[in-house]
Formats: sequence, structure tokens, C-alpha cells
Amino acid sequence: MTSTPYVYVTYIRTTQERLWEALTTTAFMRQYWFGMKFESGFTTGSPWRVETADGRLAASGEILESVPPTRLVIRWLDELKPEIKAEGYSRCVMELEPAGSAIKLTITHSMEVGGEKLIAAVSGGWPKVLSNLKSLIESGELAIK
Amino acid sequence: MTMTTKTGSPYLYVTYIRTTPEQLWHALTDPAFIKQYWFGVTVTSEFRKGSPWKLELPDGKLGDSGEILESDPPRRLVIKWRNEWKPELTNEGYSRCEMELVPDGEAVKLTITHSIESGEGKFIAAVSGGWPKVLSNLKSLLETGKLALTEAY
Repeated sequence: MTSTPYVYVTYIRTTQERLWEALTTTAFMRQYWFGMKFESGFTTGSPWRVETADGRLAASGEILESVPPTRLVIRWLDELKPEIKAEGYSRCVMELEPAGSAIKLTITHSMEVGGEKLIAAVSGGWPKVLSNLKSLIESGELAIK
Repeated sequence: MTMTTKTGSPYLYVTYIRTTPEQLWHALTDPAFIKQYWFGVTVTSEFRKGSPWKLELPDGKLGDSGEILESDPPRRLVIKWRNEWKPELTNEGYSRCEMELVPDGEAVKLTITHSIESGEGKFIAAVSGGWPKVLSNLKSLLETGKLALTEAY
């Protein structure tokens, strides 16, 4: 059985270029991603990895598509929790579309087979990360630390 | 007569807003404030259990109507809610919209759960498009004093 993909939509008062930069600049990501360290060239085919603030491998994968400043697709394997890692690779699609005075950011995180644990985990995580991203871009301050 | 009803999953949206539960409750229940982030709609209700509730579109047409099922300021608001301006949505009947406010550090976690018991999922599809716009605007207005979207487009 395949889980329903997790979808989150937020509208951020910014430009596509600034939002793309916020989604691919590791020093900036660390601020709104609770200290997580990202490593990737963010071009199609680049390896992609994430470490926790204390240096443990949290996730790994590859950039499947990179079309700045409109679309980024990541092949994403959780490395932190064995029961989630056992579900295999997920796919995370980020889409940036102009919407009047804002940019509509849509995150679709899915898994081809199964994925209940991963989808439950990312359902809790994305609203925190994306609320922080929106606050940081619009106000220069985080919502949650 | 046999009717086939297909009940979809509830629509769920979570956002963290840098504010207090009291300010967020005010933002969710004050008609003048609601009008700013909700694209000019006029909401009328006392927001007490049993109060009637209605939402008028900017042109004065009735958009939605219902009743406050639960009101526990500044924590929980439950609205019985029916669309009144699109017949195919009105036909799906009453939905239930729960708003929960939970403090989380310097922010408040706002969870919207919008569900319906009958229909073919058209109402839930409609609110799935609307809530991210309204709640993105609410968060921007509370945190920065400015909107993210000035038009619902």
C-alpha cells in the first residue's frame, strides 16, 4: 500500500530568486532548519546529505532535478531512524511559483511504496521548518528555535 | 434510494506563528482583523458556543454560514460550516472546522482540521486551496504587520 503524499503549501512575501537561494544556501538553511547541516551542489545529479547539529548523518540522497528558481527534486533517504530508513528512498519535490505579491512554495514528499513512517515524520517536520523559513525571510527572525 | 457517499480525508494545515495565544485568538475572532488577512470577507459571529456564524464575500453575497459548536478561548474553536455560494459545495452539506492553538516556545502552533461527513470531496478540495492563502496571510500580518498576498487571485 502506498501512503498519500504529504503536501504543504505556503505563500511567502519574497521573490523566486531569494526563495531559491534560501532553499539551497546551506548557511541560511541551517538557521531555519534547527541547526541541521546540508551539503550539496544543488545541481542535477549532485549528492545531497544532511547532518544533525551534533554531527550524525540524518539523511542522504541525490538531486534528481534542479531548475533554478522554479523546481528542485531530491531523492531522500532518512539515515537517523532505522525503521524509517528501512522504508527506502522518498522523493521530495519543491515548486516555486509567482503568486501576486508572493511566491507559492509547494512541498510534495512522497514514497512509491509504503512509507507510512516517513510520511508521518515529515508531516510533523515540514510545518516547523517552513513556518521558520517564512518568518526568517519576511521578518529576519525565526518562529521557533 | 441509494446514495453513494465517499468520505475523503480531513484537510489538515499546521502553521507556527510568532505570537501569543491571546493575540492569535483575537486574530481568528475579530471581524475587522479577519477582513485584512482574508481578502475582504466579513465574518459575523459572537464566537460563543451556539452563536450563529456567517461569512460574507467582499461583494456582500453570503459565502458560508453555520454555528459555533465549541469556543474555548484562547485554545479551541469549532465551527459548523456550510458553503452557501456554490451549489455543488452547498450540496455536500455541513463541514466541521476545528482550530487549535497550542503555545510552543515563542510561537503558537495553529492546527486547522476541516472535515466533512458527506459529499464527493469538492468542499475539501476547495478549502485545501483556500486555507494556505488565508493562513499564510494571517502569519505575515501577525509577524510583520503586512500581508503576503493582497489578492486571492
